Order: sequence, then C-alpha cells, then structure tokens
Amino acid sequence: MEKPSPISKFELNAEHGRALFRAMLTSRMLEAKLSSLYKAGKIVGGVYLGKGQEALSASLGICLKQGRDVFAPLIRDQAGRTAMGEEIIEVTRTYLGSVEGPMRGRDGNIHRGRPKDGMLAMISHLGAAVSVVAGALMAKRLRGTLAGVVGATCVGDGATSTGAFHEGLNVVAVEKLPMVVVIANNQYAYSTPTQSQFACENLIDRALGYGLVGHSVDGTDMLACAEVLGEAVARARRGEGPQLVEAKLLRLSGHGEHDDASYVSEVMRESHAGRDCMEVARAQMLEKGWHSGSEIADLEAEVSEQIVAAVAMAQKENVPNPYTEDWCAIASAIGRTSVESELCL
Amino acid sequence: MPEVPILMPQLGESIAEATIIRLAVSVGDTVETDQEIIEVETNKATMGVTTLCSGVMKEIYATEAQSYAVGSVLGLLEATQEEVERTGVSVAGSEEEKDRALAEGAGVREDEANLHFKTEDGGVFERRVVEPNVKGLPVPAGKKGSLYISPRMRARMDELGLQAADISAIPGTGRGGRVTVEDLESFLEYIDTWPSSPASPMRLAVADAMRRSWMRPLASVGHPVVLDHVLDYRRQQSPKPGLTLYVLRAFAIALREEPTAAGFLMGDRIVHPRAFDIGVAVQVNDGVMVPIVRHTDTKSVPELAEEYALLVDQARNRRLGESELKGGIATVTNFGTFGLTWGTPIPLPNESLILGVSAGVKRPVWSEQVNAFIPVTEAELVLTFDHRVIDGGDAGRLLKRVAELLAKPSEL
Amino acid sequence: MPVTYIDAIREAQLYLLETDPDVFLYGQDIGEFGGAFKATKGLQERFPGRVKDAPISEDAMIGVAVGAAIEGMKPIVEMQFADFSSIAFNQIVNQAATHYYRTGVSIPLTVRMPSGGTPGSGPFHSQSMESIYAHYPGIVVVTPATVADAYSMLIESVQCPDPVVYCEHKFLYRWLKAEDFKGDGLPIGKARITRSGKHATVVAYSAMVHEAVRAADILQREGGWEIEVVDLRSVKPMDTDTIIASVARTGRLLALGEAFPWGGVSAEVVSRVVAEGFHLLDAPPMRLNAKDTPVPYHPKLWAAHRPTPESVCVALRQLLAY
Repeated sequence: MEKPSPISKFELNAEHGRALFRAMLTSRMLEAKLSSLYKAGKIVGGVYLGKGQEALSASLGICLKQGRDVFAPLIRDQAGRTAMGEEIIEVTRTYLGSVEGPMRGRDGNIHRGRPKDGMLAMISHLGAAVSVVAGALMAKRLRGTLAGVVGATCVGDGATSTGAFHEGLNVVAVEKLPMVVVIANNQYAYSTPTQSQFACENLIDRALGYGLVGHSVDGTDMLACAEVLGEAVARARRGEGPQLVEAKLLRLSGHGEHDDASYVSEVMRESHAGRDCMEVARAQMLEKGWHSGSEIADLEAEVSEQIVAAVAMAQKENVPNPYTEDWCAIASAIGRTSVESELCL
Repeated sequence: MPEVPILMPQLGESIAEATIIRLAVSVGDTVETDQEIIEVETNKATMGVTTLCSGVMKEIYATEAQSYAVGSVLGLLEATQEEVERTGVSVAGSEEEKDRALAEGAGVREDEANLHFKTEDGGVFERRVVEPNVKGLPVPAGKKGSLYISPRMRARMDELGLQAADISAIPGTGRGGRVTVEDLESFLEYIDTWPSSPASPMRLAVADAMRRSWMRPLASVGHPVVLDHVLDYRRQQSPKPGLTLYVLRAFAIALREEPTAAGFLMGDRIVHPRAFDIGVAVQVNDGVMVPIVRHTDTKSVPELAEEYALLVDQARNRRLGESELKGGIATVTNFGTFGLTWGTPIPLPNESLILGVSAGVKRPVWSEQVNAFIPVTEAELVLTFDHRVIDGGDAGRLLKRVAELLAKPSEL
Repeated sequence: MPVTYIDAIREAQLYLLETDPDVFLYGQDIGEFGGAFKATKGLQERFPGRVKDAPISEDAMIGVAVGAAIEGMKPIVEMQFADFSSIAFNQIVNQAATHYYRTGVSIPLTVRMPSGGTPGSGPFHSQSMESIYAHYPGIVVVTPATVADAYSMLIESVQCPDPVVYCEHKFLYRWLKAEDFKGDGLPIGKARITRSGKHATVVAYSAMVHEAVRAADILQREGGWEIEVVDLRSVKPMDTDTIIASVARTGRLLALGEAFPWGGVSAEVVSRVVAEGFHLLDAPPMRLNAKDTPVPYHPKLWAAHRPTPESVCVALRQLLAY
C-alpha cells in the first residue's frame, strides 16, 4: 500500500486564492492575445480557448507541481497549465512556431508539453491521455517514487463518449492510482449538446460504476472549484485512490476561434452555467479581501506587459528551417544508419 | 516608418477565402493593438480582423463585398520603430525575406522552394471530367514478343554497346520468344569461337546511320531513263561534268517543283526543305560519305561542276568537315559506277529520299523514224522514299520528271 | 535439448527482466496464467509486480505503456493476438509513434504481436499487421523468422529507444526448433541471405521465409534452379541494399508475404527494387501474398489462402520462365 503523504486536508487560504486568481487572469488575457493574433493572420491552424473554464482548470493546476506530479491538460486548460507553472513564453513560442519552443514548430498550439517535467503533450484523440497518465503513475510505483505524487487529466463532456476514456478510467480504478480525472461538462462537444452525447443525468454518476470517488462542482465558482479540486487532489495524494470530478459550466467561446458558437442558445448563455467565472472570481477576491481593486488593476497591467513581451520575443525568434529539418521520427541509431532510402522530396 | 501588413487570417482549417463585410477604419485612422478593423465572413462564421500593433492606417487594399484568399494583404499599417520592437511584429516583406534567406541558405532556388502552402490564388476549380485523348492502348497489350527488351537486358546491351539490331541473330527462349540475358550471354560465348576484328569508325558510323534509317517504312520504285542525250551533250563540254551531277541537277529541279516530296516527318508535322541542298554518295575506303552540294536548284551544271569536283575530292581524302555534311534534304547515288543495273539504296536517317542511278545498258529499240532497231543507252532511276511522307504515285511522278529533264541536258 | 521460437521469446523476456530493472511486462492473462501462448510462463512468480495482468483494454494497455515509457521504463506489452491491436491502433500510431518527433522524448515501448495464421484460427486470430504499423513514421517493425532472431531481436527491441512492433509468428512458436538461441549478431535493420542462389530472389519475412526455402528446395530438385532467399528480419527499417544486391545477382524478384495483398511490405519491396534497381530486372517483379479476403477458418481454405511452398513454386516457375 501507498504510504500516506504528509499533506492532510486541503485548506483554502489567501495565498492559494491569489495564485489561483493570477493564473486565471493570465490565462484569460493570454488567450485573448492569442485570439487576436489568430484574427490578424499571425497564428495558423487554430486557437482553442478555455474561456469560462479558467476557475476549474486553474483550481486543478494550482494543486500540481512540475517535476513532481503528472498532468495531461486538454484543449481548454491554459489556466491549469499556467497554474502548474507553465511559462507564458512556452505558449507564445508554440503558437507562433518558434524553434525555441518545446515543440520546435513540429506541433503547435495546445499540443505542447514537457513530458519529462510531468506536463504531457496531448494528442487530438479524446480520452487517450487518461491511460497515459495512469502508466506514468504505474511506472513511478514500480520504481518506488510514487509517494506524494498525483496524476491528473482533464476531459470534456464529449471525451466521455470515447472508448479510450472508459478503458483508461477503468485501468485507473483497477490500479487504484493517485489520480484526478476532471470532466469539464461545458454543454457542447463542438456543436453537439450533451443530450446527444450521453443519457445519464449527471456524468459523475458514472464514478460509482468505475469504483471511483466522485465530486460535483459548479465550474463557474472559483471558490467552490478551489475547494473541490483541492480536496480531490489532496485525497488522491493521501492515497485514497482515484477521484473523478464533474464541473458544470459553459464554454464562453467557440470550439475554436474560427467558430462563432451560433448554436449556443440565448437561454443557455443566460443560465447559471453561462456565468463568467472570471467575473465571479473577481468579486470573490474582493469579497474575501484577498485583493483590492487597485491590486487587480496592477496585476492586469503586469500580466499584460508579460504577454506583450512574450509575444514579441517569440515573433523575433527563428522559425523552423524546412531545408535543415531532421526528417527522422526515430530516436535510435537504426533509423539513421539504416538503409532506408525514401526520397524525402 | 515601418509598414506592417494587415493579413486575411485563416478562419478555419478548411477555409481558403473570406468576404469583407465591413471596413471599420479608413486610411489615416489611428488604430490600437488588437483592434478589430475589418469584419469578414466565411460560410462558417463572421470574425473581426485585428491589428498586431498600434499605428496609422496607410493603405487599405480590400474593398467591401469582395472575397480575398487567406494570407492576402488587405492593407498596410504604419507603425513606429519602437512599436514594432515592442510587439515583435514582422514588417511588410520581412517574412518573404526570411523564406528567401532559408532557401538561399539551403542552396534552393526560389521557384524550387516548397510552395505547397502558398494560397494566394484562393484555391482552384476542379475539372469535373477528364476524357482520355487516346482510345485504347497504342500497341496491343501483352504482345511483347521477341522485340521486348527487359530493363536488365537493355542495361547489359548498353554495357556491351549493342543495339536492338545486334540481337536479331539470337533466337530468344523467353516468353513470346524474347531474348533473355542468358540467351545473349550464350550467343556471345558462341560468337567468341569465331574469328573477329574491330570495325572501323567509318564502318560504325555508316552502320549507325543505316540502322536508324531502317527504322522507317522505306519503299523503292524504279523508272527507265534514256541516257544518250545527256551522254552526248556531256561529251561536248570541257571540262566534262560527271553524269551524277546531271542527275543531281535534274533531281533538284524536280524537287523544287514538288517540294513536299522532300519533306521530313516529325511527329504530326512535315518539316519542309529550307534550301535545295542535295548530297552525293561517294564511296570511300570502308564506307560511304555524303557531301552536300548547296543550292542545286539555282545553279546550272557548269556552275556546280567545280564545287562538286572539290567535294568529291575532299570526300575521297576524308577531308570533309561538319559544314559539308550537314543540312541535306536528299541524296543522289550513282551505283551504276559499280556496273550495277538495279539497287535499293537507303536514304540518310535525316532525309526522306535517295535517288539512285544504275549503269547504262545499250539496248536495241525499234525506231519508227528509221524503221529499224537502233541502239539506245538506257539506265534505271531508283527512288527510295519514306512511305510515311509520300506514296508510290508521287515517287513515280518525281522519277518521270527527272527522266524528262535528263532528256534536255542543255537546260540543266 | 532443442529450443523453440516461443522459448526464445520467453527466455528473452526473462533475460530482460533479470538484467534491466526498467523492463516490465503488461498484458492480458500474462501473469500467473503465463499468457495465452505461455510466452510469460513463470515470469510473474519470479518478478512479482513487474509482470502485470491488464484489463481487456488494448487502448489503455498501450496508453499505460506510453505513460510508463515517458517515465523512462521499458514496457513490453503483449497483445493477446495481433488482430486485437486494432483497438490500440490510436495509441500506437498517434500517441507512441509521434511522441519523439513532437516532444524529443522517445518512447522505448515494445508491443509483442502474436501474428499470422494457424489452422482453424479464423478471421480474428490470424492477421498480420506489420504493414499497417510500418506505414507510420516513428515505429520500428520487426518480424523474426528464426529462433535466434526471436531471441536477439526481442532484446534489441526492448533496448531500442523507439516504439517497436515485434511481430512473432504463432505458427513458428512450437514448430520451429533450434539447438540454442545463438545467432549471427545481425542487428535490426539488416536483412539476411538465408539461402543463396542465382536464378531468382525471393524476399520474405517471418514464417514466409520457411515457405520460401521449402519452395527453393523443390525447384532445386526439379530443375536445378538456384533460388536466393532474403529474410528481411525487420520490415521497417527495410534493408534495401541487401535486396538490391540480391536482385543484381539474379535479375528476378518475388516479394512474398503472408499479409493481405493490397499495398504492404511486398509492395514496398517491389517499389524499391523498381525505383532503385530497374536496370537489374530481367522480368517484371512479382508479388505473392495472402488472398484479398478475411483469413478463413477451415484448414483447407486457410492453407489455400496464404502462400504455401506449392504456390511459391508456381509463382517462381512463372518468374523463371519469363
């Protein structure tokens, strides 16, 4: 059995709240900049925002530490990435294709990661990361380095329909891994509403079926998210087994910035789930006395400056050179010294 | 001040172009960073095109209700050097400059560089139906037969300097009687038991020309000619031009009247004579040379005589240069000098015609005038022609005309 | 006491578990039960915790292995049958195969795929998947045909930093015997001339190497034909040089495979020879594969579905008569 880590019950305090809010704000502002760069024709491919999901994502990420934990963020987890410690420059370099970035132009946007630091690089296939995080944790267990480590991944409501999600969650439960799987139920899988996606009342009801501990949370409420995710991560870290969290919220953008989300009804936008978690968080920070209005304004100015600097830096850096690119997908010597003679024209 | 291009963004993964709905700024307006200045629409969504930095609108190329390809420059923004530095934007032309530098660094010419993603044309229209322009196969399928030479066989033949004609002696044992490499090797082994000697360069040159010429459908026709007039006339001249020159001159006049006969077929075109330059076959040691007599249609026999004599002399001494051998449209060969009374000469590969004249033979011919047999010197004119270019009738008319012209040697 | 092909696979895994603490085995029924083919018999007892039973979740099995590989482990995943790897296809070709190119972190994962047909196995327990995986960049695909190769190539696969699809032929498991596991030391990426000849080259891999050799023996007796047999050993990377050198000697090529005929390894062999050795060919290159239907159940149908020494002879006679 896993030795319980020294972390006991999760406690929400001002320091935690401020870090959380900063990550949310950074994510919101950084994504706005990415959207603008896309609309100026500077970013190609796509820009997928986590707007409206920052409270949830950051609440998870803030509990994780690079170099210790394993996190497989998905498409709308800028806030969680930032909260875990991802630098802004990593983001702008990847989106703008700088060779200095972690993906060196070979992959873009949200597909970035630093696997050796515990930040996995997602593939586009939904649910596929669940088992990968499980494997990383199983490896740590085999090596005896699992104590105090948590693995986490996020999926949307759409990913819960995949076989990979089911297979992965089942393995996580069978292996009793210290893992938190977060479902951001943002009401739409691209344009498909949840009633066309699944037939159960709440996705969290599935936790019982897998043998997982389940948590529900209002994804628009920063304090609630901080409490629930903090507790879920702490429980996993304490060795109480895998945790499944479902948050209800609304994606406040299109699927990507090319999508104007015209399929989202006015009723939905006006519903509780449609609340902007950023506005809620702002009010909560003021109410708790964790930030004053001017502190928030200062914070915004500081973050804005960081973003502009990171965008400028990435734009000035080299883009990949197709003529000198190492067109080899194999790490081993056999891939290089072999007699493969494909014409790479 | 630096200029920053306003670009049509990529508005989705499969979008090639978008339509301008509204221009929210005019030339001269001051704009801020991230300001939406142009509203565009695709069949998927509407979106605002934003600025990468602050500045003043210098040019607007786009007009409302028009569509532009992704990546098109919609306008230019003038920004301060400081602003460019602060935001890290690329100024107009600098991206292209970088691309060029990368290509140059790799030693790749710009037009050879990877252009897959250049989308300025906004896509192309797919052609709906493409009809084959050849019905059926040009050759019967599966009928490779003995003429089929495999890639390996071809490579071995190239190595040995052999041509298809060289393997005609070998009975093939492969499918459809084709000659296999094994067949070739065993034939070569067999041949090695026979005495052999190297062929001279002259012999090889003639062999090459004849082999290439023989790839065409060549046909020969003959017509008698009375030589007495021309022989009598020739005897009165000093110096005496050769019979060949009279034949050549008659041939030139006949061809001038019917120039298409000397045409040359290339694909679906007839290449016509540029000048009536006609060659003469001269027997030399171990081969034949064909010097070209120029402008035979405009010069009379006496005018041509000296030039002709010089060329024949040069040929016999193997002193002919490129300029004396190039550009002929037909050849005359007097195989009669060998005492031959019939032959089917082969034209040069780049010519369609060769006119041969046989040895004259005295024959008794009945004369109504004197009511008796009289001796007449008669020879055969033989014309070998590329049957793709002319037919037997044309060839016959040409020969008849040459015979007529030779009956009036003073006019030649 | 002779050893078999499956002994080699088991012994190689034993060796790896003994010598490398990063190696672990993951798969369905591989623990106490010892695997559907007993390739892991007794290993869990010796290495408890490092020979793990997996749920029937092929996708998750590879996902887990990728996660562990990112952590630096060297997982060996046993697919119970190669056929079932279709469930894990996404994790293999999208997760594992792209990882090194995208992130710079390689995935030292070995997927053991019991491949090929045995009589009566039918459509879903007989498939040969090597071409599918070889198509994807970032994967090494090996197809050992001998006991020694089964042993050395499995060790090499696990030591290789890249994802390796190790196609082990079920028919060879107990049919193929040898004195010991000692081989000639050829590395992955090098083909072997299994039988030398001068009249035609047969390029084969996995179980088809043995069918090719038997066909060559028949033609030797029949007409003194000397058929050269090239064992690819690894289909990716493919040893084009050895193939071309063989065709240079013989001028004739038969590319032989047990997989379905559309595209695939044999087509790749032909395309390489035509592209790089056109001038060497004295006859149109030939291919012989299984038929373009699912693998049938009945032994009589099965035997006619895949290439046999008899059908290889028929093909070779045509090739030699050209």
